[in-house]
Amino acid sequence: MGMFDPIKGFGVTFSTMFKKVVTEEYPEVKKVTAPRFHGRHQLNRHPDGLEKCVGCELCAWACPADAIFVEGGDNTDDARYSPGERFGADYQINYLRCIGCGLCIEACPTRSLTMTNEYELADDDRQKLIFTKEDLLAPLLPGMEQPPHPMRLGDNEQDYYVNGPALARDLLAGSSQGQSNAESAVKGAGK
Amino acid sequence: MTLAPEKSEVEVPEGHVKLVIDGFEVVAPKGELLIRTAERLGIVVPRFCDHPLLEPAGACRQCLVEVEMGGRPMPKPQASCTMTVADGMVVKTQLTSPVADKAQQGVMELLLINHPLDCPICDKGGECPLQNQALKHGRSDSRFHEHKRTFPKPLPISTQVLLDRERCVLCQRCTRFSAQIAGDPFIELLERGSQQQIGVAEGKPFQSYFSGNTIQICPVGALTSAAYRFRARPFDLISTPSVCEHCSSGCAERTDWRRGKVQRKLAGDDPEVNEEWICDKGRFAFRYATAGDRFTRPLVRDAESGELRETSWTEALQVAATGLAAARDAKGVGVLTGGRLTVEDAYAYAKFARVALKTNDVDFRARAHSAEELEFLTSTVLGTTPDNGGVTFTAIEAAPAVLCVAFEPEEEAPIVFLRLRKAARKKTKVFHLGQYTSPAVEKTFGTLLACVPGGEPAALNALEEHAADVTEALRGSGSVILVGERAAEVPGLFSAVARLAASTGAKVAWIPRRAGERGALEVGAVPNLLPGGRLVSDAAARSEVENAWGLVAGTLPTRAGRDTNGILVAAASGALDALVVAGVDPFDLPDPGLAQRALEFAGFVVSLELRPSAATAHADVVLPIAPAVEKSGSYLNWEGRRRDFGTTLEGTGALPDCRVLDTLAVEMDADLFTQTPAAAAADLDRLGSNVAEASAPTVSAPLLVQPTAGQAVLATWRRMLDNGSLQDEEPNLAGTARPVVAKVSAATAVHLGLDLGADITVSTERGSVTLPVEVADLPDGVVWLPGNSGPVTVRRNLVAGHGSLVAVAVSDGPSAEKSASDRGGNA
Amino acid sequence: MGLEEKLPNGILLTSVEKLVNWTRKSSLWPATFGLACCAIEMMTTGGPRYDLARFGMEVFRASPRQADLMIVAGRVTNKMAPVLRQIYDQMPEPRWVLAMGVCASTGGMFNNYAVVQGVDHVVPVDMYLPGCPPRPEMLIDAILKIHAKIMDEPLGAARAAALLESGASTDLMPSSERFAKKK
Repeated sequence: MGMFDPIKGFGVTFSTMFKKVVTEEYPEVKKVTAPRFHGRHQLNRHPDGLEKCVGCELCAWACPADAIFVEGGDNTDDARYSPGERFGADYQINYLRCIGCGLCIEACPTRSLTMTNEYELADDDRQKLIFTKEDLLAPLLPGMEQPPHPMRLGDNEQDYYVNGPALARDLLAGSSQGQSNAESAVKGAGK
Repeated sequence: MTLAPEKSEVEVPEGHVKLVIDGFEVVAPKGELLIRTAERLGIVVPRFCDHPLLEPAGACRQCLVEVEMGGRPMPKPQASCTMTVADGMVVKTQLTSPVADKAQQGVMELLLINHPLDCPICDKGGECPLQNQALKHGRSDSRFHEHKRTFPKPLPISTQVLLDRERCVLCQRCTRFSAQIAGDPFIELLERGSQQQIGVAEGKPFQSYFSGNTIQICPVGALTSAAYRFRARPFDLISTPSVCEHCSSGCAERTDWRRGKVQRKLAGDDPEVNEEWICDKGRFAFRYATAGDRFTRPLVRDAESGELRETSWTEALQVAATGLAAARDAKGVGVLTGGRLTVEDAYAYAKFARVALKTNDVDFRARAHSAEELEFLTSTVLGTTPDNGGVTFTAIEAAPAVLCVAFEPEEEAPIVFLRLRKAARKKTKVFHLGQYTSPAVEKTFGTLLACVPGGEPAALNALEEHAADVTEALRGSGSVILVGERAAEVPGLFSAVARLAASTGAKVAWIPRRAGERGALEVGAVPNLLPGGRLVSDAAARSEVENAWGLVAGTLPTRAGRDTNGILVAAASGALDALVVAGVDPFDLPDPGLAQRALEFAGFVVSLELRPSAATAHADVVLPIAPAVEKSGSYLNWEGRRRDFGTTLEGTGALPDCRVLDTLAVEMDADLFTQTPAAAAADLDRLGSNVAEASAPTVSAPLLVQPTAGQAVLATWRRMLDNGSLQDEEPNLAGTARPVVAKVSAATAVHLGLDLGADITVSTERGSVTLPVEVADLPDGVVWLPGNSGPVTVRRNLVAGHGSLVAVAVSDGPSAEKSASDRGGNA
Repeated sequence: MGLEEKLPNGILLTSVEKLVNWTRKSSLWPATFGLACCAIEMMTTGGPRYDLARFGMEVFRASPRQADLMIVAGRVTNKMAPVLRQIYDQMPEPRWVLAMGVCASTGGMFNNYAVVQGVDHVVPVDMYLPGCPPRPEMLIDAILKIHAKIMDEPLGAARAAALLESGASTDLMPSSERFAKKK
């Protein structure tokens, strides 16, 4: 046992004082997660605001924890929520069951369901942790319109799925040149 | 089967052939299709168009296999669903033959050329044979990158069936079903080549009572149900086997539900009863049980306000028990059970009446009825089951001749109709004693024995003279006479049927319209019978029942009670103090006014009901009971076959009638031992049956009243789809009901001076009905009206029945009902 | 607790309530109840990187007698449930329970005969924290939300009745918003 051994520990403490602090400043500075982090879900929209969800229930099927409940509905000419025949009339995710595995995201055929990086979800009410469609739907961006409304981007769902972004750009630009853009896009897809 | 040994030892019976499938030696009856033989071996050949109950078509070509005959391979793969087995055949399926496998993959690729990729929004997704087989036997990618053929979709071919032509693989199951099984060619192949498609048959109405079956047998999502559209996914549904609660056929069904709600019903597979088909009412009519006005809590009439108010079970049962006990000790209580109870519930009513109310005034017949009917049921129907030689579905199929008396098979027991048609397509001669050539007569290739309503007994008595071929055919061994509920409205008809059966040796079956009637008869919910077919008047039988029920000897009432009509007359005139009513609609009865008065004037009315009705409007206590999906039990179908079913929706808290009555009886110091349907069934089994011998009725038919000028005899019966309360909340189903029209003969129409398309007004002193008129081959001087369709009905507004004399006139102006009936006709 | 129970109605000042609540929330000592994977995240939260000591919570007590907060971290099996309840019963009042992760909250993906379908079948839960497992930030967020709830806790029966009548409830805003640096 050396002479300085009893105070060696103080040395460690002292030297640490000059090192960079590793502690996260969490509540004051919000931690930015990795982009692939599995946070809260989001139900996306088409560029004109129609919902992408078609109520197919494949997410509910894929869910290993049975956290998702979906019920489909019939789009009518008076009340259209998504392109095509079917939309998700009822959509619920129980965050007290969801394990964030992301299988629902993989199952989604329309890229409607994705995950955000939002993680501050704790609550004292079980009911509030069952998120419904209103909670999950993505906010309306510029150019979007709250459904129900008719299809703005094209005549049928094919237009939405094949050339959605191009048609959306045209819708925003509203110019004749944009129109030709979309047409070429349609031709390109047809080839 | 085992691997074929080198030296075959397999014995080939007469009429059989021996062949080899995938190296397995198998013996098959001559004429069997290859695909079935393979199936018996456990080798599944993929298929779409093949259906065991339909004739082979070879339309989809998915079932190709390699076949070798007499050592020579056939040049191309063969469709195994159309090829019959032959001696010495060597068959290689996709399991052993690369050629067959490649051929199947090729066919699948062709089928998918124009098939849209909309599985996520397709109702069939998850239970789709095309989806499954594409994964099993299809290529992983397609070589066809052209645009897919598109059609506008969905195309509604009726209000309840939607057609998506893009998804169709043209297997023709639906068209073959319509043509072969149902006989309603409402759906047909149109166009040719690549534009070939399924469509609505031109010039034919969409009305079929069996269209729902096409949805179920469609192997892709081309035909979907409007009511079930996008409701749920098969993998999220829980399927429970059940039994249909509508007619007396007792079809096996599969109820699919989730989150405590029935989403759809499908046909179950029972070769003895319904094969794989059910009617549209059984398939689509189930939402009455979730209607918003359903009772969930007991109600008691408030003494002060006179209104029904919700209360606890304890209070409601106590009020009911006090009232019933007081009435029992005064003039007595009558029990009307209605015809829709399970066997267990009906037994509870029968026992409740005898033990707690000490009366035989109990009757299940909430319809026209007669003492003659009861005599006939006691002598001929009681105790017959498939086990002791009663008429069965298969007996109908095998019968050389069938005579339908006052029975409209398609409207009253659709599955009996399907069997009749199946039999008639083979060799059975079908005769209908009725009024006009209804669709059912045509579709069973039947012979109409037309008569004036009320003239049926005379027609039967004179059958030997006027239609010797009919009696001749009925003398054939195994012939059957089917009697319907309408026979109770014709005095002397049951007697005539019994006489005819005795003289020809044909077997008789009684086919009521409601699911619970046969069961209620057997368990003694009638005035003259105790449970198990014992006569009330038989002292030995009474003491047997007293013993089994643990009663003091001599407690059971000894006199036969009143029937429905008697109970109502007694209640209306004050001869009865109280009524216990379950599922009775006054407008089903011959005299609705009498029923209304009886409910009104009876001192105390206890109603066991699901939803508000005329009975609950006058009831002092309303006890809510469980609909069929929320309880277990069994129905006795018209054959006498017990059709057990379990609870589909568990834990809803709704109580079956037998439980409610058991608790009510306990409040009245009597024990029924029917706490659960299982307990009730066990109690009934302990009692056993001891069917009384009785002689057939011999009532002679009264003389027919001749219509004078401006009068006609009314012929009427109920349609399958009508105003029945079990079809409430089903707009899609109601859209396929037949148009509400009156029918007269051409001569009568001329006599009345009717123009085609004009309206006719049929009236009695109680009211009138105005309907569009159609010409049919009715006897002259007869007018036909649908029993309970449209806003104005025979019972409710005319207070008349089959065989009544009515006044007929051309309508003065456009009627209020016309628009409503037009709507019914177009939908 | 003592004094506040004995005081007549309406005698206590709200600032005393605040002071008491502040002392309680500022040294909330958790009982260790790590049961599964969530416990790893809980331990991380106690380590230097997330440093639960910043909130006066660095001492995870092995003895329930010295703990105020039970963090149920992981799925609770039916066999563990009575143990959990006993430990909860041994904790002195006032005490709080945090169901960490979906398994503790509802059983999560373990919907089977062995696992308690939510620890609230056994003990009252004050905060449910979703996640499988929740990352340490989420746990800190949940703890801070519990702090907020503690700060709103009424002192004495009269105050509790008044609070119930007013229907006021704690606003559980995300911690990163509540504690965001003033700009």
